[in-house]
Amino acid sequence: MDPKNKIDGQMDVAITNGKILQVAKDIPAKNAKKVVDVTGMYVTPGIIDMHVHAFNGTDVDAYIANGLTSLPPDAFTFRSGVTTVVDAGSSGWRNFRLFKKQTIDRSQTRVLALLNIVGNGMVGRFEEQDVNDMNPQQTAYMIKKLYPDIIVGIKAAHFWGDFTQVDRAVEAGNLANVPVMVDFGEHQPPNSIEDLFMKHLRPGDIFTHTFSYGPTTRETVVDEGGQVKPFIFEAQKKGIIFDVGHGGGAFSWRQAVPSMKQGFLPNVISTDLHAESMNSGMKDMSNVMSKFLNMGMSLQDVILRSTWNPANVIKRTDLGNLSVGNDADVTVFNVRKGDFGFLDVRKTKLKGTQKLEAELTLRAGKIVWDLNGISAPSWEEELKNSK
Amino acid sequence: MKKQLIYYFPASGNICIARSSFLAFMLMLTTFFVHAQQYDLLIKNGHVIDPKNHINAKKDVAVANGKVANVADNIPASQSKKMIDANGLYVTPGLIDMHTHVFVGTKPDKFADGVNSLSPDDFTFKSGVTTVIDAGTSGWRNFQKFKEQVIDQSKTRVLAFLNIAANGLSGKPEQEDINSMNVDSAVQVKQKYNDIIVGIKIGHYEGSDWTPFDRALDAASKTNTPLFVECHLPQYSLQDQLNKMRPGDIITHSYEQITERMPVVNDTGNLRPFVLDAQKRGVLFDVGHGGAGFWFSQAVPAFKQGLVPNSFGTDLHRFSMNAGMKSMLNVMSKYMAIGMSLEDAITRATWNAAKSIKREDLGNLDVGSVADITVLSMLKGKFGFVDAGGNRLEGDRKLEAELTIRAGKIVWDLNGISAKRWKQEANKE
Repeated sequence: MDPKNKIDGQMDVAITNGKILQVAKDIPAKNAKKVVDVTGMYVTPGIIDMHVHAFNGTDVDAYIANGLTSLPPDAFTFRSGVTTVVDAGSSGWRNFRLFKKQTIDRSQTRVLALLNIVGNGMVGRFEEQDVNDMNPQQTAYMIKKLYPDIIVGIKAAHFWGDFTQVDRAVEAGNLANVPVMVDFGEHQPPNSIEDLFMKHLRPGDIFTHTFSYGPTTRETVVDEGGQVKPFIFEAQKKGIIFDVGHGGGAFSWRQAVPSMKQGFLPNVISTDLHAESMNSGMKDMSNVMSKFLNMGMSLQDVILRSTWNPANVIKRTDLGNLSVGNDADVTVFNVRKGDFGFLDVRKTKLKGTQKLEAELTLRAGKIVWDLNGISAPSWEEELKNSK
Repeated sequence: MKKQLIYYFPASGNICIARSSFLAFMLMLTTFFVHAQQYDLLIKNGHVIDPKNHINAKKDVAVANGKVANVADNIPASQSKKMIDANGLYVTPGLIDMHTHVFVGTKPDKFADGVNSLSPDDFTFKSGVTTVIDAGTSGWRNFQKFKEQVIDQSKTRVLAFLNIAANGLSGKPEQEDINSMNVDSAVQVKQKYNDIIVGIKIGHYEGSDWTPFDRALDAASKTNTPLFVECHLPQYSLQDQLNKMRPGDIITHSYEQITERMPVVNDTGNLRPFVLDAQKRGVLFDVGHGGAGFWFSQAVPAFKQGLVPNSFGTDLHRFSMNAGMKSMLNVMSKYMAIGMSLEDAITRATWNAAKSIKREDLGNLDVGSVADITVLSMLKGKFGFVDAGGNRLEGDRKLEAELTIRAGKIVWDLNGISAKRWKQEANKE
């Protein structure tokens, strides 16, 4: 299942030197040093989780930047089929280098980043209000001049004021030619998201926590009568990207289910992985993907919104597909059938019958996760062979 | 302990009769209400396996104030504020992982305060674990930092074996500096943190001098705790190590097949007699799976010939998490695929582990003990398990953590069995 290349059928995938060599029907087993039989399973591009917090560190007083709320990506990614994560603004231009040295350079997972418009990133809520630390020029330099291969956009989040933060982020986005992701909560009363979409953001900019329900601080996409607000469809048509960003507090069935039924689908499925979401309703990327499957989204759509769509949004079209010559980031899923339940952040559950499970994950051609040993030989045969 | 029903009657005498009756009525009403919902949480209809109390049957488990309040055949749902139906599931004491490396920090290529260690909460609850024991990642000099940085910050109960090396697993050559292996300092730190440190560890010493081992043993003796013997002691013979160990001391990586330590099973597939003798003498064998510590070529013949592990340490760290090890439940399921019964697996993951670290308050569902509880489902199907050599063993059962409770609080709920179903109408409330 490779949405970019419009492939949705039984095929073989061949890899050499860490790259995709061929995708075709019936590639002879004798042509490969190693063969993995995945009959009955789905082979997709490595999953991209476009919203995580991975700037983990030891500052026990910090919130997300260099703190304990952020998580080391490798502990969560491969086991749920993810090969690329995008850190959503944990660091800003002042501490991005530390993030890079401490986490990005040491992870097997491909870690990309949105740079926070706040210079210190997410050190703490109060620091995040400092308009004087929102410097578009420095932010753009960091992206364009220093780390264009790693920093793929800008984040604006957790701001209690007006549109100043978003406008500065967009200014930086224009300077660096990258998208801006906005977490638009924590205003009392809430600022208008219609204004945000129509007057402040550009096509290609990203609205995250789409299905959050906390109407006193964040305007919702679905109104109290259960209807998707008409301007939401217009905004999506205009090119605003809607990201799930599940997290510990930002995904409610009362927003997501009516949206799905009324044809408002998120462009991108993502987790907002951090210490407060990992053991709650969110859990991991394949669990969040499974939620959409059980709300009625087709598997093809689920895969599209977690591979090729996010790759396009961050302008990394080398990712999220199985085109020949690309890095062999490949995920093999099985779809478990049974009686499952899925929690939202309000601790209500939706029952479901299908659940995605990562059987095998490959990062740049290397097997980094193999749930049931489908790539491994039987130990008894190996023992016989060794004697 | 089960809450006693106490009825308060106001003293008669000088108090006006009417007022007294009213008070009595109110107090009885209050008492009735307290009685009606005396439990915070009731796990109903599950199959309870509590090896310490020899329970292996369908029972209900009630929790109040973070403690186990009652385990009985039929506790009425009306007595609890919240009820979870665990029909078809197994209810066990919270699992104990005997061997982890959780002194996570930012130092590259290091276990102590480094990126090779992992944060416990990232792995425990989703695998039914409520207590981990850190296997000597810290020593007397940096234990305090470990405590402040990880132990105090974790929801998981983190206990520790204290490394005899001053800075724990800080890398070579520092971790092999005999001068830093100070028995008195280790004893002092153990005594200061008596409720966290459960033993002394020796490992990762490549010399042939027995001083490090003897000092660790001395510190263990002086603190009346077990010695935990890790790997990477290439100059010490296995037989000498086992001979020096006392009953109750623990050797880990029991089923490794690496050049630096003699494997427990010899080339012809036979368990070495002196190994079995050591176990009979009371030396405890921990799995310590890790990235290189568990091989089917050792574990399967050893199991068949009687060397069954006492505990299932995962040896959780950066290099085992995504390899054959994966999680505590995966390691337990692996043993069930080898032939261990579910009851035996639960025993080793709960009560046996608790006893071996002399923490008999853990690993059981005694009334009054902390409500660390795990609810497991048994998946049936075709599963594969991988060892450190990259080889596979097939099995038809696999444990999955449905619900994990730490001190009475739900910290993991895989399928929302503790949650209400979402209904569209609820939006309008």
